[in-house]
Amino acid sequence: MELLITIDIGTTAVRIVAFDFKGEKKAYKKGSYPTFHPQPDFSEQDPEQVFITVLFILKSLLNELFEDKKNKIKGIVFSSSMHSVLPIDKNGTPLGNALIWADNRAKKEAEKIKNSALGKIIYEATGTPIHAMSPLAKIAWIRENDAERFQKTYKFISLKEYVVHQFTNEYIIDYSLASATGLFNIRTLKWEQNSLDISGINENYLSETCPIYNSEAKLKPNLAKSLRLSANTKIILGSTDGCMATIGTGVFAEGQATISINSSGAVRVFGEEVLNDSNQRLFNYVLDKNQYISGGPTNNAGVVLDWFVSQFGSFQHGKDFEETMLNSLNEALHVSPGAEGLIFLPYLLGERAPIWNSNARGAYFGINIKHEPRHFVRATIEGIIFELFSIGKVIETYRNINEISLTGTVVTLPFWSNLVADIFGKKVNMNHSVNSINLGSALVGLTEMGVYANIEEAVKSIVKPDRIIEPKVHHHELYTKYYRIFSQLTQKFKEEFDLIAELQAG
Amino acid sequence: MRFFALNKDKSDELRAFHHVFEFSRKKVQSVQTNWADCKKNPGLRFIFIQEGNFEWVIDNKTITVFPNDLVIIYPNQVLQSKMEAFDNGTYYSITILPKLFNEEKLVFGDWSSIPATEQLLIGKLFLLNRKSVFQNFKIAGEILKKIELEIFATEIGFKAIVNHLIDELVVYSTRQLSREENQRKHFPQTFHKFDQILRENLSHPWTVEEMAAILGLGTTTLNEKIRAYSGFSPLNYLINLRISESIRLLKNTDISITDIAFEMGFYSSQHFSSTFKKMTGYSPRYFRKTPESKEE
Repeated sequence: MELLITIDIGTTAVRIVAFDFKGEKKAYKKGSYPTFHPQPDFSEQDPEQVFITVLFILKSLLNELFEDKKNKIKGIVFSSSMHSVLPIDKNGTPLGNALIWADNRAKKEAEKIKNSALGKIIYEATGTPIHAMSPLAKIAWIRENDAERFQKTYKFISLKEYVVHQFTNEYIIDYSLASATGLFNIRTLKWEQNSLDISGINENYLSETCPIYNSEAKLKPNLAKSLRLSANTKIILGSTDGCMATIGTGVFAEGQATISINSSGAVRVFGEEVLNDSNQRLFNYVLDKNQYISGGPTNNAGVVLDWFVSQFGSFQHGKDFEETMLNSLNEALHVSPGAEGLIFLPYLLGERAPIWNSNARGAYFGINIKHEPRHFVRATIEGIIFELFSIGKVIETYRNINEISLTGTVVTLPFWSNLVADIFGKKVNMNHSVNSINLGSALVGLTEMGVYANIEEAVKSIVKPDRIIEPKVHHHELYTKYYRIFSQLTQKFKEEFDLIAELQAG
Repeated sequence: MRFFALNKDKSDELRAFHHVFEFSRKKVQSVQTNWADCKKNPGLRFIFIQEGNFEWVIDNKTITVFPNDLVIIYPNQVLQSKMEAFDNGTYYSITILPKLFNEEKLVFGDWSSIPATEQLLIGKLFLLNRKSVFQNFKIAGEILKKIELEIFATEIGFKAIVNHLIDELVVYSTRQLSREENQRKHFPQTFHKFDQILRENLSHPWTVEEMAAILGLGTTTLNEKIRAYSGFSPLNYLINLRISESIRLLKNTDISITDIAFEMGFYSSQHFSSTFKKMTGYSPRYFRKTPESKEE
């Protein structure tokens, strides 16, 4: 059987899925690696461990597949998280760990760039909101605060480029990943001079940019031999997790949106135009020439409920976290929509879209004498989805959203998907069977290999929801009233967020 | 209710127990100006609070303890009262002297019926966590009360029973240690701790049993949970960490391959090279920074 391998280098793990040419999943393996926080605002990953994990998991998946002599690997497609920065020296040796998307050390640099005369121009040119996550700000931080490392740096690459370099010996970056750096012009598809000036670097510090379908780089001969792959195996550059998850859930037309709910979350739409938000709240990432994935990310999704349950869950004897989580969800299910007047602002980790305020903090509002722990569980989950809804609202000022494709770790829990349908008041599609990021990569790979004429045809032929949920109108009406309060509280607390964050910083 | 203070080599009651440095039940009611007990603790000390509350400083960290709390003080730690705190209450204290207790090993001695391999594990758990306060740990109080009765009654068989009770105190504390640590945690947090402990002890000859005990899990559950979360078996995850660290050392230092092998817990440089090749497809030499070796 002819097979395509998709490798997603995610935040917590690499996930590798083999697909046949019809887009059917044939094998799956994952391997995790940790994130280090040597200081409060720092989030780092070890590039060697990431690469070794990719290699180990790939080898063990291939060994399994090669037990069937008829299996032939025709190509490998890559995807990864966005925004990581890894300085390397001339020999390609990493200069320390990679700064990943969650790294917040560059918040002052980001603030400075955002408020400068060039801030708006750079946002409009690069599509990436100016924030500590952006490699633009991270490189500026390294230059200002770690001059020695900056001096030694030959190139600033991402974890994905590091892995691709280990596979091919080339320094190349796809348009999607480049468009999440704040350094890349999403219209001209070239590195943006204004950004380069601000970071203090030039084009030579960055990889060569290529379309996501690029397959010119060749697998290193000794690696091919060790993996028992043919030297002709196509190495397809691929895209980012966000772009892949969007097309991987079938979103490729007006009126559709993808909502991802993992530890963090995002709302995304596909379009042939960018969403040029005057308040710089939305990102616009490049899928291909004149094809954009736009939307907004939230810091506070699954991680907030994990926090709630581990702090306040009723851990009965012998019950572990997962069981306690299910119990809590079960309790929340028996509370009516709106948690009988309890509203939760989920900003435990500050917030990105739509308010972009790292000082924002959480709050429960409306507590009365009748509220029980189960009301708090429900309010917590509703608060997380209200926040996603608030991102959806901003997108809707530019684009209609008629239906939603839901993806992420919560997809298997009907409670969440029902809430998404009711709060958004829209139809929700889901597919339980496959990781949407890897499926998106398969679509890109199969298109490159000519199995489909173009990406749109691939999306329409392969991605089919296996479950559809309709919103309950009366619930949506009630949630609209609650959302109004949610949104007003978020606005009103702006000053108090700053004050409390200052006290918390000590 | 009796108050007493027994000391090794001084009190007849402890003559049969050379491994007990002191055993006491004290009532304290005073404003502390400078507490006498600021010597380094010679063994493993257990203090169980019966009444009142105390503000103590262990190695510069302040703790406040209440009735039914158990405090463990590890060898060489210094326990002090917080200056000018009003300490008021009663507590049991027992200090046992293991034959050997360091980063590598814990050996209680012949009196204990805990198997040697488990003693080793218990030592590892204590030292890795260094947890001082076990809240609301009533069972420790019950055990100490029984020890007191046995030691003063000296009925037939009391020696065996006291030693057995000390074993019990140690084992229950160990279990509580790993359980308390991990039960409320979301598995990713537990995994994070697992990752950190391995990372800090890469050269240690780890066994799955040790790993399981540290997370307060059985070996089967450990295997299942680590595999489900990380995609690796516990031992393969360890190898993964060792190989990643080796690559960094190969690229960034001039340490010889043999030395790296030993530092990373491999038996020999052959064992290192073969594992390395199996995992990565390359020999360790490939990652040495010299450009010509890259042509291999």
